[in-house]
Amino acid sequence: MASIASACRLSARVASRQVRNQYGSTRAFHPAPATLAAQNFNMPALSPTMTEGNIATWRVKEGDSFAAGDVLLEIETDKAQMDVEAQDDGILAKIIQGDGSKAVQVGSRIAVMAEPGDDISSLEIAPEERSAPKQEAAKEHQSKQDTPTPANEEKAAISEFKTPPPSTASSKGKAQKQKYPLYPSVQHLLRENGLPKEEADKIPATGPNGRLLKGDVLAYLGRIQASYTAEQQKRIAKLTHLDLSNIKVAAPKTESEEKKLVKAPESQPAVPEPETEVAVPISFKAVQECQKRIQQSLGVFLPVSTFIARATELANEDLPKSRVAKPTADELFNAVLGLDKMKKYTRGQFIPQVTALPPTSLRATKPSTMKKPDIFDLLAGKKAVSPKPSPVSGAAGAAGSINVFSVSVPKGDEKRAQLFLKRMKMALEAEPGRLVV
Amino acid sequence: MFRSILPRAAPKSVLQSVRGAQTSFRASNIYFQDRLRRGYASEAEEKDLVIIGGGVAGYVAAIKAGQAGLKVACIEKRGTLGGTCLNVGCIPSKSLLNNSHLYHTILHDTKHRGIDVGDVKLNLATLMKAKETSVSGLTKGIEFLFKKNGVEYIKGTGAFVDEHTVAVNLIEGGETSVKAKNIFIATGSEATPFPGLTIDEKKVITSTGAIALQQVPKKMVVIGGGIIGLEMGSVWSRLGAEVTVVEYLGQIGGPGMDAEISKMIQKMLTKQGMKFKLNTKVMSGDDSGETVKISTEAAKGGKEETLDADVVLVAIGRRPYTSGLGLENIGLETDDKGRLVIDQEYRTKIPHIRVIGDVTFGPMLAHKAEEEGVAAVEFLTKGYGHVNYGAIPSVMYTHPEVAWVGQNEQELKAAGVKYKAGSFPFSANSRAKTNLDTEGIVKFLSDAETDRILGVHIVGPNAGEMIAEATLALEYGASSEDVARTSHAHPTLSEAFKEAAMATYDKAIHY
Repeated sequence: MASIASACRLSARVASRQVRNQYGSTRAFHPAPATLAAQNFNMPALSPTMTEGNIATWRVKEGDSFAAGDVLLEIETDKAQMDVEAQDDGILAKIIQGDGSKAVQVGSRIAVMAEPGDDISSLEIAPEERSAPKQEAAKEHQSKQDTPTPANEEKAAISEFKTPPPSTASSKGKAQKQKYPLYPSVQHLLRENGLPKEEADKIPATGPNGRLLKGDVLAYLGRIQASYTAEQQKRIAKLTHLDLSNIKVAAPKTESEEKKLVKAPESQPAVPEPETEVAVPISFKAVQECQKRIQQSLGVFLPVSTFIARATELANEDLPKSRVAKPTADELFNAVLGLDKMKKYTRGQFIPQVTALPPTSLRATKPSTMKKPDIFDLLAGKKAVSPKPSPVSGAAGAAGSINVFSVSVPKGDEKRAQLFLKRMKMALEAEPGRLVV
Repeated sequence: MFRSILPRAAPKSVLQSVRGAQTSFRASNIYFQDRLRRGYASEAEEKDLVIIGGGVAGYVAAIKAGQAGLKVACIEKRGTLGGTCLNVGCIPSKSLLNNSHLYHTILHDTKHRGIDVGDVKLNLATLMKAKETSVSGLTKGIEFLFKKNGVEYIKGTGAFVDEHTVAVNLIEGGETSVKAKNIFIATGSEATPFPGLTIDEKKVITSTGAIALQQVPKKMVVIGGGIIGLEMGSVWSRLGAEVTVVEYLGQIGGPGMDAEISKMIQKMLTKQGMKFKLNTKVMSGDDSGETVKISTEAAKGGKEETLDADVVLVAIGRRPYTSGLGLENIGLETDDKGRLVIDQEYRTKIPHIRVIGDVTFGPMLAHKAEEEGVAAVEFLTKGYGHVNYGAIPSVMYTHPEVAWVGQNEQELKAAGVKYKAGSFPFSANSRAKTNLDTEGIVKFLSDAETDRILGVHIVGPNAGEMIAEATLALEYGASSEDVARTSHAHPTLSEAFKEAAMATYDKAIHY
């Protein structure tokens, strides 16, 4: 009997799901089903072909509470009379279709249930999920149930899974109707021991989704300890989940640790990278002319430093990749994939140092655009910066029309620096007006 | 500031003069225009789901979410989808494994089969090309699937701004940001570097470099005898390198591999020319010279040795990758191994942010990530998802292949479970005999009382395909008798699988 009831439960669930889908209730984005205090209890389908049935008697009275597994009512069909068991604990709030109701459509409301502990008197009775079952819908319903589609079964399986965490009863393995073909080993054992096929529905099953396993039959036959299958089920169920016990959350980095991390590289005597200086003389003639023009036309005086700052920003853009820079893991990954063509250029970080020279020194600097570093400076670990640059401030600092722009770069990176300076030169000498307009 | 006063279009003459002066230098106004455009990072409407990472976990979740009708965007910084697996992992390595195996077979084996082949020459460049063709075909395929399922693909590096906003630094330049109701983190993992060795992917390589070497190294040392190390080691060993594997543990294949199977595959690989140093610790490495010097020591102390190699493959495992993700901005925590902390439904402590794939707990396997991608989306849309962590197969694609699912003998002993073991050798299988490929066995472990299958371990030809049947059996809680009573086609390798099941609950017929 119990097995039939559980089958009913299953199909009843399938039915209610279908109804919900059919009537287009959009599924909420957040999955938790809204739990009403009072829930409608619909006429279950006791067999796939059942469309209607008679209610023989209610075993539970209005206002009485019941526990999961209690028989709620008896239903008659043309074929048989069957008990309907409660799935969960609850209270029978109201009976809609009383004893002796005839031809009650499957899926139509027959009672209202409340959660245990609810105050029935103040309970709002939820409206029926759909109005009186239309004949058509029922028909369609029936045809759907006649040919249980895989999707249907899947849903049934899912809903089965959705049932709240197995209570002690279900962890022992519950007997239930075996809807699927029996496993070869199970079939064999049943035959071997002269048990009819229907006996399978009475054996407590511990397999996934209530499937009957060889071990269950062995336990039923008394060949192995009855409790063993349940223990095994528990052990295997544990393996199906990620083991999230004993997680050691990484302690947030304390300040002292961070300091250590920062200090570590400092404490090592940094070997000074040999640096080279690259310098280019640039004339400010155009800039000065432009300054004058702007002052005449707009009455605004733009300092030379503005021109230089903007030219620097411009010249730093999209410089060819530095040769000395170590490739990152990402770049190596891309190189392996042949994707590195996209990123040949990177933004430079150059800040030129400007040295104003008296016009006479022009000849001296011009022949060598690239100045070699002094070996003594190198050995002394001193940065190879030639004559102390006088910071440019306004027009006064750049009085001379020729200035030397220089940058210090690690060895191997001279080309990048030269390109940068070339761009600076062009920006300042060719069209300085465009930098500020 | 001053950018805003710049004209958007420059006078033509200026443009020309600048171009004329220096071709490689872009006209300044264009540059400034660029910057202006970047300023207008548009804020699009809120998405239902944003996934950071377009690897296996991320792209599968994105497609699944697209199919479920969610508004979904996937952020990937590599410029190609598929992540490590598709670009530099499973897929390219399988191309190399298959083709190097063919080469090796032609070189050493076809003669015995009655096929005389003249001059056999290796064309490494073409071999690599074949690999790249496979990879690019597959990654493009995912891009197509994105389009088909309405997934927005954002190429760039994502970082959390707050719990609902991800800022993206676009590959093509510029920045944007996306807002989402739900966010999945699927940033994957990276190879764990070996302290003291600088990875340049030429001399000191990870699996990434191992699929792209320009020439066959004379001597190769593999640090770590796990699956990655053995697969890549066997590729280069087949192509002619002298490969030495150094492993700290007492067995190869990692701790998941059954000890008996591990010993068997070690013998087979040794026969193929690979050398193994087990229970050996790598103390330090020196990559300053022409070759790389690796000094080792017996794990239990004592014997020191120095190995010399042209190429050193560091394959000591992978670690979760979360740098630059801005986790500190939302206060998410990781465990001591860098894995993001989650619950059973992949939620972090911020419930609308979930984590899937290598960056969190569980085995770092593409198919596990894939399952999680689907399950996480189902949790979102249906409230229930399913990944059975007890039935996730592992495969090592050496030759012969090694595959297993469920528990191994060591684990069962440790858990105190009484079990029966049954095995069947491929040498007694008709198809393996006709293929002249008879190395290996199928081994079942089933419960001593109930006969329920607890684990299946295979070493042998096509083990990776055969393990699917074992996984299905495990998923359904089958007993070895169930498998044994199921018909398997003759003559196939899968008969060995059936016979091993027979041997477990009763007796094999053909052995």
